[in-house]
Amino acid sequence: MNEAAGAKPTRSLGSILRSRPFLAFAVVALVWIVAGFTMRGFGAYGHLRYLIELSAVIGLVAAGQTFVVVTGGIDLSVGAIITVSAVGLPLFTWQADPTGLSAIVATLAMASAIGLVNGAGVAFLRVHPMIMTLAMATFLQGLLIIIAGGSAVSVQNELVQWLGNARPAGIPAGILLWLVISAATLWVMHATPFGARLFALGANPIAAQLSGVPVIATTIAVYAVCGFTSGLAGVLLLGMNGQGYVGIGDPYLLTSIAAVVLGGTSILGGSGTYAGTIPGAILLVTITALITVVNASPGWRSILFGALILALLLLSGREAARR
Amino acid sequence: MSLAANSSQGVNPLYWPVQMRRNIGVRGLFLVILAFIIAYGILFPGLFSVFGFAKFTQSWFPLALVTMAQAILMLAGGISLAIGPLVSLGAVIAATTMTQSLGIAGGTAAVTLAGLVIGAATGLIVVKLRLPSIVVTLAGSFIIAGAALLILPRPGGTMPPWVSNLLAGGTPAAFGLLVLVVLAWKLYLATPLGLSLYAAGENPVGTYRSGASVDTALIAAYAISGLLCTGAGLFVAAQTGSGDPVIGQSFTLNSIAAAVLGGVGFLGGQGTMRGALAGSLLLSLMISVMFFLGFTPVAQYIAQGLIIVGAVALPQIRGMRK
Repeated sequence: MNEAAGAKPTRSLGSILRSRPFLAFAVVALVWIVAGFTMRGFGAYGHLRYLIELSAVIGLVAAGQTFVVVTGGIDLSVGAIITVSAVGLPLFTWQADPTGLSAIVATLAMASAIGLVNGAGVAFLRVHPMIMTLAMATFLQGLLIIIAGGSAVSVQNELVQWLGNARPAGIPAGILLWLVISAATLWVMHATPFGARLFALGANPIAAQLSGVPVIATTIAVYAVCGFTSGLAGVLLLGMNGQGYVGIGDPYLLTSIAAVVLGGTSILGGSGTYAGTIPGAILLVTITALITVVNASPGWRSILFGALILALLLLSGREAARR
Repeated sequence: MSLAANSSQGVNPLYWPVQMRRNIGVRGLFLVILAFIIAYGILFPGLFSVFGFAKFTQSWFPLALVTMAQAILMLAGGISLAIGPLVSLGAVIAATTMTQSLGIAGGTAAVTLAGLVIGAATGLIVVKLRLPSIVVTLAGSFIIAGAALLILPRPGGTMPPWVSNLLAGGTPAAFGLLVLVVLAWKLYLATPLGLSLYAAGENPVGTYRSGASVDTALIAAYAISGLLCTGAGLFVAAQTGSGDPVIGQSFTLNSIAAAVLGGVGFLGGQGTMRGALAGSLLLSLMISVMFFLGFTPVAQYIAQGLIIVGAVALPQIRGMRK
């Protein structure tokens, strides 16, 4: 990523043009322009706004996933956390609080606590992240049956409904929420000591520990953040859907990882940025929308989706050659 | 590992000591499995009859195959998120070809070929295009799942009854097959290709520099892994008597859990196939014992999550004390 080629004045422009986030944004723009001219209705403001609204859910989950992946981990429990949040939120309803804010706060606290346990398992017990979060997902699956009993729950919470449906100033509240979280994520990652530690930890955990990075605290914090954003995505999804059911979060596990990788973040940790994940999420939703328009059978749709992701990965996910 | 190759020319005096040392990491696991088998036997004495043994090994067999498939890739320094879709693909190919166009031999050949070709293609992409295996198999899982849906959009198809009876009837044929697969793996490890699998997984650069063909070894590993998955799919189709395009879903994550329970590491070259098999045995014993104890699904999920973390964390904690 540190192409230092070229003279000094052109270097900044060249490195911007070659950076992964820029490439991902360029691909999104290209697809939108081509589809906008060739497909009736694709380029309409309402449709594009709808695409970004859908991307917001993936974008929120992928924010936490980006944190985790940058430190060299992976979180396979995000789907389960989304489901637990969406199904569990209606349980935290108190008569004393008509706004519904307390229910959201309680849900997010629960989601963060789940992430915290993930992080504690990875940091203290030294269980591999893939196994820790996988076991957590299995555990939550059991918990879900207890709290939901397999039936769908509908949302009565006003604030959640507002989040899913309201459009202050014509922009859906979900997109505004995504903007806020994106700004916070980018700031934490690239402008705070905590963010610098994440990259150090992902690049070389031993070197990071030796240079004074609090490895255990950082790891726990990262998984807690991932739990928090997954919980937020669950709340937003519940608001947009109006209903929560077991399995509502399942599709977001693989797509969150795909969005992170499409954005140029190395799955091996140590490099990347949420600025790439944002267009990655939009790209995934756009691809899905285009494939739906093509009107193919579910089998072909799935094949097209996988093939397109694979092709896009060739643009962004290559490793260095061994020699 | 190279000592295993020498065993063909008279047993090397170091062979058994080395094999014993490779057991150290999984000795505790073997004890836990023994405890579970005793518990199982007390709860369900039928286990020790031919029929009970046949039924138990049949429930274990597909998980054992996919765990081997996952472990081979993990030993090679990779991982696969496409195990489940490959199992489904094998199942739908078997259920649509065996009683119809191709017959049993043709259907088996089609299942075999699909596994080898898809596995090799995945390996080629990972090795030649230098993409991380986890993201390639993530994208591949969508493609393979789509292919399974194209072949059989909804559950259906049929298997020849005598194939079902042979593989999933009252005889321990599945266990016999598993023994054959394990023997084949032992033989494979004695070939240069099998030897370079461990080496290439542990240190690809060093292996490349010492003249072994890393690329060939890795692509062969992916092909074998694909074959094991579609083979498991054929068996699942025989078990249920029909095909289902999403039947394999749970195998992806279970195969990772079983391989890690068995001490196979994520970094490549660490672990043993006997450990992985023991891990898959523990996982399927656990599920059966909890079923016989009358655990509700809720308690099963919760206990499974706790046991997996516990089993992986315990050796780590003990290691930290030392």
